[in-house]
Amino acid sequence: MPVATSLTDGLHAIVGADGVFTGPALAEYRLGPATPHAVVFPRDESEVSRLLRLAWEEGLAVVPWGSGGHQSLGYPPSRYDLALNLRRLNRVLEYEPADMTATAQAGIRLADLQRHLESGRQFLPLDPPLASQATLGGILGGNLSGPLRCRYGTARDLVLGIRVAHADGTITKGGAKVVKNVTGYDITKLYLGSHGTLGVILEATFRVYPRPPAEQAWWLSTPELEAAHALAIRILGSHLAPSRVELLDGPAGRACGSPAQGPALFVSIAGVPEAIRAQANDLARMAGEFGSVTTEDPAAPRTWAGLSDFPWLNAERNGKGHGAIWRGGVLPSDCARGMRAIHEASSEWADTAMAASVAHGIVRGTFRAETPEALARSLAASREVLAALGGFLVVLDAPAPVRAQVDVWGPPLDGVGVMQRLKAAFDAKGILNPGRFVGGI
Amino acid sequence: MNGSGLAPETRTHLIRSCERIVGPEGVISAPDELRVYECDALTFYHRVMPDLVVLPTSTQQVADVVRLCREAGVPFLPRGAGTGLSGGATPDAGGVMIVLTRMNRILDIDVPSRLATVEAGFINLWLTNAVKRHGLFYAPDPASQQACSIGGNVAENAGGPHCLKYGVTTNHVLGATVVLPDGEVRQLGGKIQDRPGYDLLGVFVGSEGTLGICTEVTVRLLPQPEAVKTLLAVFRTIEEASNAVSGIIARGIIPVAMEMLDREIIKAVEANVKAGYPLDAGAVLLIELDGPRAEIEAEAVGVEATCREHGCIELRVARTDEERALLWKGRKEAAGSVGRITHHYYLQDAVVPRSKLPKILREIGEIGGRYGLIIANVFHAGDGNIHPLICFDLTTPGDLDRAIAAGSEIMKRCIEAGGSVSGEHGIGHEKRDYLPLMYSPADLAAMLRVRAVFDPAGLCNPGKIFPADRPEGHGDRNLQSPAMTAVSDR
Ligand SMILES: Cc1cc2nc3c(=O)[nH]c(=O)nc-3n(C[C@H](O)[C@H](O)[C@H](O)COP(=O)(O)OP(=O)(O)OC[C@H]3O[C@@H](n4cnc5c(N)ncnc54)[C@H](O)[C@@H]3O)c2cc1C
Repeated sequence: MPVATSLTDGLHAIVGADGVFTGPALAEYRLGPATPHAVVFPRDESEVSRLLRLAWEEGLAVVPWGSGGHQSLGYPPSRYDLALNLRRLNRVLEYEPADMTATAQAGIRLADLQRHLESGRQFLPLDPPLASQATLGGILGGNLSGPLRCRYGTARDLVLGIRVAHADGTITKGGAKVVKNVTGYDITKLYLGSHGTLGVILEATFRVYPRPPAEQAWWLSTPELEAAHALAIRILGSHLAPSRVELLDGPAGRACGSPAQGPALFVSIAGVPEAIRAQANDLARMAGEFGSVTTEDPAAPRTWAGLSDFPWLNAERNGKGHGAIWRGGVLPSDCARGMRAIHEASSEWADTAMAASVAHGIVRGTFRAETPEALARSLAASREVLAALGGFLVVLDAPAPVRAQVDVWGPPLDGVGVMQRLKAAFDAKGILNPGRFVGGI
Repeated sequence: MNGSGLAPETRTHLIRSCERIVGPEGVISAPDELRVYECDALTFYHRVMPDLVVLPTSTQQVADVVRLCREAGVPFLPRGAGTGLSGGATPDAGGVMIVLTRMNRILDIDVPSRLATVEAGFINLWLTNAVKRHGLFYAPDPASQQACSIGGNVAENAGGPHCLKYGVTTNHVLGATVVLPDGEVRQLGGKIQDRPGYDLLGVFVGSEGTLGICTEVTVRLLPQPEAVKTLLAVFRTIEEASNAVSGIIARGIIPVAMEMLDREIIKAVEANVKAGYPLDAGAVLLIELDGPRAEIEAEAVGVEATCREHGCIELRVARTDEERALLWKGRKEAAGSVGRITHHYYLQDAVVPRSKLPKILREIGEIGGRYGLIIANVFHAGDGNIHPLICFDLTTPGDLDRAIAAGSEIMKRCIEAGGSVSGEHGIGHEKRDYLPLMYSPADLAAMLRVRAVFDPAGLCNPGKIFPADRPEGHGDRNLQSPAMTAVSDR
């Protein structure tokens, strides 16, 4: 559809001619069947505000865009006029190592922020999937996390304050730049994981952490998944302070470099070398109690990127024609039960690879199947077995024919009415990422 | 006083109906018995009696009482143990007070998943006591933990000395059963994490009883650390002690607690409990490390070196549990000891970036001097969370006003330093007019929209958090205009 000249003029007036793309460049901004009329690249928050003001007045639907790596999340937008690419808002605004806080703009890539924090020997302990390209805004909007949450929690534990542009262009802040703060509602939490449906995140202030002096990792393999899981529960309830405790089935383990063919536990411990040594001894002793073989992982840093990314890598691998990526949740004590049930429910139709962050009961994985129907059946059956454990399953990425058969978010949850009212209160015209989130928000 | 102006027949109707819901023993309506509920732990101003007090024993009863209030158009507010320090659990102008203290059972302890679910009136310290035998504990440990309720902790996002390493209540609460202001019962969050949807639980925590009443809470439990090491470092000046705090953090060490006591507090504590703090010290810093033994041994070396670099004149390390308890005793009894140096005190709560501690403490000293008031300081130094105790005498005319004025100046200085007007005690009634110092009208409008979504009738704990001149926060809804006006200052 051609862009109305008046609209293009309006966009140019705000971001300059070089800040607006139309035409073939839009192909990479396609979401489901929809392609926007234009993608805009604001340079600062006041341009974001003015762009949103324009969209608000014209009733244009806006999709905030970071690296695009996780845009497959959720339903395709119900309307889609503008992609709002934030990659030019990519500065670190404040960094005070002595306060262990940093403020950065939403368009910065996590990897670039980490490089900046190196100067204070600190880091932001977030390891979302596809971390090498992911931007802060995308990570926060999706509340993405990885195995490191075992020790450091998620964005909701790390973000102290936030600056947001609302649907009508109004800019507000929530929280503060200090580590403790109870002043009015902790509204920051609402934007985290809201998938850009309540406001466009402009910047965030984080609690950052000292980089541990050393870190070591081990593969603990057992013949049965259940034994590896019991070992994980034992470790997590003990005095050990691991950074990551991941339970992997055979295929996920092999994709991540496990020396074993079967299920395995991956554990990493960080700290001063003498403390790592002492804990390594305890770890080996506990592993022995569960009949597990302990092997040090020589490729540790590469392994932990793999642990976050393997579902994406696996879904792209050759093999059966169609791939889907999903994430689910169960009680920590149900991880092995959930993984086995998924395996049993899906193996008839699909190849699976999955891993669980046991401390928080988060399971994630991939299916590959010959047909979209087989994929859809695997996802639906897996969702059902997790629901039987009180859990849930969300489809993170799947081909369109699969999405037509399974609801990516799953059945509505308690409180969805409140969520819909919040959406209406924050974005009465429904211009921000319309229709993409749970409950059609 | 009894301020709501409820018609007598409305009050009688409410009493009868509440008695039907919770039984006659669960309703308090005699004025002399209601007096107990006319304030929380902020005792010296804002005393208002509720019209009646109801003590339900189940979520269903809470929901029934809320629905009753809503139908009658009468304001209501939740109350836990009443240890709040910002007037949050004191009625704004009468109404029905729903007290959760009879809902005090453990509902579930899941050891392998390290979760516990308790009723909202359950006392904080009981939780750690209940799970000790499983090698677990509940991390948020407000100094009031022997009395305060988990529901009150959720409402205030309570912190405590050990939150430096472990985080505050919001980092440990996974789910809550909440009676919304319209009487609906909803599950926010839950034992299973990361369900898709807005983080309603996240915004409920710290909402000070204005978004609903939580009746059940699911929290995360942590395994007890292998070892604990407690050190007491004595400094000549508070400035040196503050620099040591920054120095420790700069080394990449995060102790589990770093608590500071200044000269005035040391004097009071020694007069009261004899914790063995040197009377000639300018400040003592209580530092606790916990974790794997080898890790904290290495950290202790770093802590000692840093303290010495910053002029520490004496360093004690607890060798036994008794010695550790003694080092902590002075800290735990600090507020209770202040009676030794003053008749009354106004306990303030604010936060600055850690690196600004020396500056703010110097300014507090100056402010005290200017107002002719002693200001004693005992605080969570590692978090930059200060607690100035402004000493005054209610019987001296003008003293209270001076104390409040001094407090207000301290708040302003904290904000100028990039901080916040409350780290853990909340805004409540006390600080509602400070909120605009931190947040622009647009920022507040966003919060008020959340309030309007949860409580369109404005009956749930009105008069709290939002400035008196923002009536939308207190029941008069005027949120029709969709666009928010101003742009927030950075
Ligand atoms: C000596 C002393 C030391 C203290 N030390 C600390 C400290 O170290 N750290 C700290 O954070 N605080 C501290 N406090 C403050 C206070 O103890 C905390 O704010 C505590 O969380 C309040 O709990 P409570 O049960 O007493 O709540 P209350 O005082 O009864 O209520 C506080 C607020 O919570 C709301 N509320 C209560 N129950 C519920 C519920 N079930 N659902 C929804 N809303 C509810 C009330 O409406 C009110 O707004 C201290 C207080 C004292 C007196």
